[in-house]
Amino acid sequence: MHKFAHLSDCHLGAWKHPALQKVEIEAFYRILDTCLKEKVNFIVISGDFFHSNLPDLGVVRMVVRKLKQVHDAGVPIYVVYGSHDYSPNDNSMIDILTDAGLLTKIKKGYEKDGKIKLDFILDQQTGAKITGLSGRKMGIERHYYEDLDRELLEKESGFKIFVFHAGLDELKPKALADMDSMPISLLPRGFDYYAGGHVHKQMMEEFSGYGKVCYPGPSFAGYSRDLEDSARGQKRGFFIVEFDEKVRDVKFREIDSVQYLYFEHDATDKNANIVQEELKLKIGTLDAKGKIVVMKIKGDLSGGKTSDINFSELRQLLNSKGAIHVQTNRYDLRSKEYLASISGDIGQDPKQIEERILRENIDSVKVSFPALKGKEGSGLAIELLAILRQDQKANERKSDYVGRVLDSCKESLHLEEIE
Amino acid sequence: MKEKSLDVAGQIVGGQVAKILVRQKSGKKLEIGDILVSEEDGSYLILQVYNLLYGSQIPKTTHELLAGLRLEGFGTDLEFMEPKLRNYVLAEVKAIANVSNNGTEIQVKIPKILPSFFQTIRPIQKDDLTFLTQPTNPVYIGKVRSGSKIIDVDVFLPSSEIFPHHILIPATTGRGKSNLVRIMLWSLLNLESTGALVLDPHNEYYETNGKGLKSHPNANKRLAYYTPNPKNGAKSLVINLRSIKPDHFMGIVNFTDAQWDAIRLYHSQFGENWLEEIVLQTPIQGSTVPLRTFGVLRRKFYLALGIEERNGEIHCRNNTFSGGSKGESTIDDIVKFLEEGKVVIADTSRLSDAAELIIGSIVAGTILEKYQYYKTTGELESMPVITIIVEEAPRVLGIDVLEEGDNIYSTIAREGRKFKIGLTAITQVVSLIPKTILANMNTKIILGNEMSTERSAIISSASQDLSEDDRTIASLDKGEAIISSIFTKFAIPIQVPMFEDFIKDKSVDEKKSKKIVIG
Ligand SMILES: Nc1ncnc2c1ncn2[C@@H]1O[C@H](COP(=O)(O)OP(=O)(O)OP(=O)(O)O)[C@@H](O)[C@H]1O
Ligand SMILES: [Mg+2]
Ligand SMILES: [Mn+2]
Repeated sequence: MHKFAHLSDCHLGAWKHPALQKVEIEAFYRILDTCLKEKVNFIVISGDFFHSNLPDLGVVRMVVRKLKQVHDAGVPIYVVYGSHDYSPNDNSMIDILTDAGLLTKIKKGYEKDGKIKLDFILDQQTGAKITGLSGRKMGIERHYYEDLDRELLEKESGFKIFVFHAGLDELKPKALADMDSMPISLLPRGFDYYAGGHVHKQMMEEFSGYGKVCYPGPSFAGYSRDLEDSARGQKRGFFIVEFDEKVRDVKFREIDSVQYLYFEHDATDKNANIVQEELKLKIGTLDAKGKIVVMKIKGDLSGGKTSDINFSELRQLLNSKGAIHVQTNRYDLRSKEYLASISGDIGQDPKQIEERILRENIDSVKVSFPALKGKEGSGLAIELLAILRQDQKANERKSDYVGRVLDSCKESLHLEEIE
Repeated sequence: MKEKSLDVAGQIVGGQVAKILVRQKSGKKLEIGDILVSEEDGSYLILQVYNLLYGSQIPKTTHELLAGLRLEGFGTDLEFMEPKLRNYVLAEVKAIANVSNNGTEIQVKIPKILPSFFQTIRPIQKDDLTFLTQPTNPVYIGKVRSGSKIIDVDVFLPSSEIFPHHILIPATTGRGKSNLVRIMLWSLLNLESTGALVLDPHNEYYETNGKGLKSHPNANKRLAYYTPNPKNGAKSLVINLRSIKPDHFMGIVNFTDAQWDAIRLYHSQFGENWLEEIVLQTPIQGSTVPLRTFGVLRRKFYLALGIEERNGEIHCRNNTFSGGSKGESTIDDIVKFLEEGKVVIADTSRLSDAAELIIGSIVAGTILEKYQYYKTTGELESMPVITIIVEEAPRVLGIDVLEEGDNIYSTIAREGRKFKIGLTAITQVVSLIPKTILANMNTKIILGNEMSTERSAIISSASQDLSEDDRTIASLDKGEAIISSIFTKFAIPIQVPMFEDFIKDKSVDEKKSKKIVIG
């Protein structure tokens, strides 16, 4: 019997706050330590290993230490890009670590006869055959799934794993209804295991014609929304899969890298002052020591503005009780007096808001090139924004920086040259 | 106009308002359903033949005698003098429209005059119908038909108006209902102003023999196909049990009061998990749902949805209903597509009637709620109209069904119009649908029907006076139809094209020529 581990969405480097940075790296260490202890034959990572394609070097250094240990133990790690650590011109930290032999990036597809062909990587120890597609922005990514030569992949014999970083319509959590996703029927059938990433929720399901389709979710958290989900009881961890010529067992290994404390408070028909006092009282009774605290305040205030509630005082109070991080969610908190000034449903995190606003407004821009319109256009815009948002690295020459950004833009737009 | 006048088909010889008698010119063959024109001073009347009979100048007894003489061999060469003058065909016609052109615009009115006595009449021609223009948001239905002759004039209906006001498509089996719906959906794939949910119990719309709506150039962008076993990019029809609320069963599965009590109890106790918990027979402290009630409920849920308990877990017989993580967003996705004016086909061919109608219920209920909300915020105006297409409509609109109470379909039939949501009801038996609902369906596309009770139900609820059209409807051939709508000036006879012929020059080739990018 062989074993492999399937993890995803580690989002290493996502947090600036030192306490969260520590949890993030600890969670990652614990996962890889467990893999070594369990003597897995190999590890599959379904994208968003890093939170960006060129993450903070301090984080990279910590990560490399552990990767080296795993490498020295003879355990290969197969990865695809996610939507965060993607680089259009193969200049992601993933590629650097691949060149250094610490990771194995699953090969890109190539076009032949109007179809996209993928090659398999053969895992030397187990004979497992691994292939898959990197994540990117869905509007564009969808094309390669549509043009994928599924038949060829389906014909391949042996124990096969398909690694992908994309949401599936069939497994899209209700809370993420706006997330871009694709139908499972775009994946090749008949693989033994579908190693999914991108959706930050642990799921394991079986579909007829397909084997097990699994999403481990993030090892810790990529966004603040993940913290809230974890605080509300969602489990974080990874899968360990036992197999010979078939999958024999899939187990979710929970990694509770930190304790959470979640509470909700209903502000309906109370004024801001009362809510403030009630919250102070409540916090007084809580044991927040060493925990990540997520508090959700909701309802329509009868008086005062939502900003009259002094959240920084509440946060300090929790910090003084030993909370390592405090997160407040007040998306559902409204003020009756000021209802009019609030614009309908605000998405949960900035990324979602950005995507939604782009998508809603893209049609008001008149362009003739189809790739710049609709979903595809907004996907491209988001990708370009992400490229343009990159900072100049320390020690990077201005001209190198400009060249790097331009190269990324050209790749992303499929242009030969930018004038 | 002079040239036309040469082509005389007959002459008006008498009658009264809805029963004008026309003598057929010898050599012309008038048919039931033929459309004729009589030119008046500054206007013209459009007339339609609804009955044919013999006329003769010679007494009946003489005819009988002559026939006898010939049959019995007394005079095989006996003839009438000038037979064409003395024996002829009379057509009973009615005036259906009065068209006048005051130089700036063409006006079409319900005729309130008789055509001039002794006026000659001629067959209708293309030029007589220039007032049938293409509306905004056009839905193509077919070409104007005179009897069984096709006139080269396209008939479009205004999508934004007809759909919220409901459409009824009545006909006996095999007369071309599905073909007509396919033709209409083809237009909808061009329109962002109209969304459609198609419950497709025969899985015949997306593709049949390689052809279907999937051949539409916009299919990739504007058509979503949900099926239990999808291939090549089709979507899975998989719905999480937590999307189902007790109300969705209303008017579709019958429960006794005791069963409803149990359902409500479980819903209040377990929220969206209510259905699973009933099937798993999870006990509720302090409550006493009799075992028998559990038994019946579990059986009913099994029959309707194919779900049952196996070793303490929920098991679904088909892939459509599921617990766990599957299908949580399917309903939201479908609703989103509809709000974007897309066409959503749900292949329900492998489901029970109840399951099909419950899926429709969930989607229709969700969209109605949303549109009701948009109305309060003022957003409704800019939303597309939505139609829900149901085959065998009496399953949800039947008199017997509605006696048990309203369901979402009848609610939409009664008040959906205010929220831009309508039904497209397909049926072989109109007579099972209450008159009040039929009266709300303001566009009827009537195909052939040999059942006289059905014809009279159709006629009595039509938007135009079709009281003389009983025979016409009985004699409609496959694809021949009459549009009776408050949005047409008169009941327009049409010929619906055969879908396969219609799309010949319109569909896209399977081989798409698009750029491939690899990353
Ligand atoms: N417009 C048309 N012109 C010519 N033939 C037609 C037309 N419409 C339908 N037909 C013929 O009639 C057959 C039955 O058509 P269709 O399936 O649309 O009927 P239906 O009323 O939906 O029948 P059912 O009651 O079985 O659902 C078709 O296979 C086709 O051959
Ligand atoms: Mg049919
Ligand atoms: Mn991610």
